[in-house]
Amino acid sequence: MNLKTRKLAEIDRVIHEPGRLMLVALLSAVEQADFLYLQHETEMNKGTLSSHLSKLEEAGYVEVTKTYRGKIPQTLLRLTIEGRQAFTQYRRRMKEAL
Amino acid sequence: MDQVERMMERPKLYYNIDGVGELGMGFMLLCFALLEWLQINSPAGAIWHRVYVLFLWIGLMGAVIHYGSEAIKRHITYPRTGFVEYKKRNSIWPAAIAFVTSALVAVGLAFAVRSHWGIGSHMGLTTPAALIGLVFAAAYAYGVARSVRWKWAVAGTIAICSVAIAMLPADLVGSMTGSTSAFGAISSASAGAWLLIITLYGVILLISGVISFVLYLRHTQPAAETAE
Repeated sequence: MNLKTRKLAEIDRVIHEPGRLMLVALLSAVEQADFLYLQHETEMNKGTLSSHLSKLEEAGYVEVTKTYRGKIPQTLLRLTIEGRQAFTQYRRRMKEAL
Repeated sequence: MDQVERMMERPKLYYNIDGVGELGMGFMLLCFALLEWLQINSPAGAIWHRVYVLFLWIGLMGAVIHYGSEAIKRHITYPRTGFVEYKKRNSIWPAAIAFVTSALVAVGLAFAVRSHWGIGSHMGLTTPAALIGLVFAAAYAYGVARSVRWKWAVAGTIAICSVAIAMLPADLVGSMTGSTSAFGAISSASAGAWLLIITLYGVILLISGVISFVLYLRHTQPAAETAE
């Protein structure tokens, strides 16, 4: 196995999935965003988006906060420090591998 | 990876999805134009020439832009397409360096045009204001137009206006400021060109912002209040 192939094998599979990659890329550029914004940008349906966010939360990459905007429930999402580190590492590995 | 980089750019472009960025910028430019017009059309000792009035003006203008934008975002944008909290800038240096570099490039271009082609004395290009306009058009194209196709027309209009103002005869542009030397060392042609430029850019940005806002309202609906 050459070095490039080995680098590819080490890629974080939680982030590598296209839907989750979009979410992590969006969240990496902001302090935090709400569920509606992520839905608007990614054009995913609520179920798919929830499922991806749950996986990212389980991995410790995303922090979820349930709150209210007035009387309307709002779900705020932010990348954790681990999430930011994992995304930085993912981008570096992909650049090296490609 | 290019797609990932593009995705990371989207939150920045989202700020102006409703045209609020342009509305704020247009309002600011028109406020500065109004202040300059007041200074031109008032005697040297008038209140409009006082430094504290300038700071007060900037403070009031800043407050209107800040609270106005926040109100639009809170009541219209966030319920329709979502809330984003941007990262606090760790340093103001990148923005400061970009601003100073742009200004230096514009002034350098102005001097180059004047010294190499002799334009200026008879055509009114006695000020770098028009060239700053071209830098502004480029910045607008990069910051706003690349995300929305029709905004290229706005960028083009800004660039054409800059060149058109630069081509105007100096005496015509200078006549806008009258015979008063309200700006001391600055020539009346430069002051007139500056006033014309900020007024035009303000109007262009305000119109573009209003169009964006109307289109945004037309194409979006407040989200249903259901669980996420």
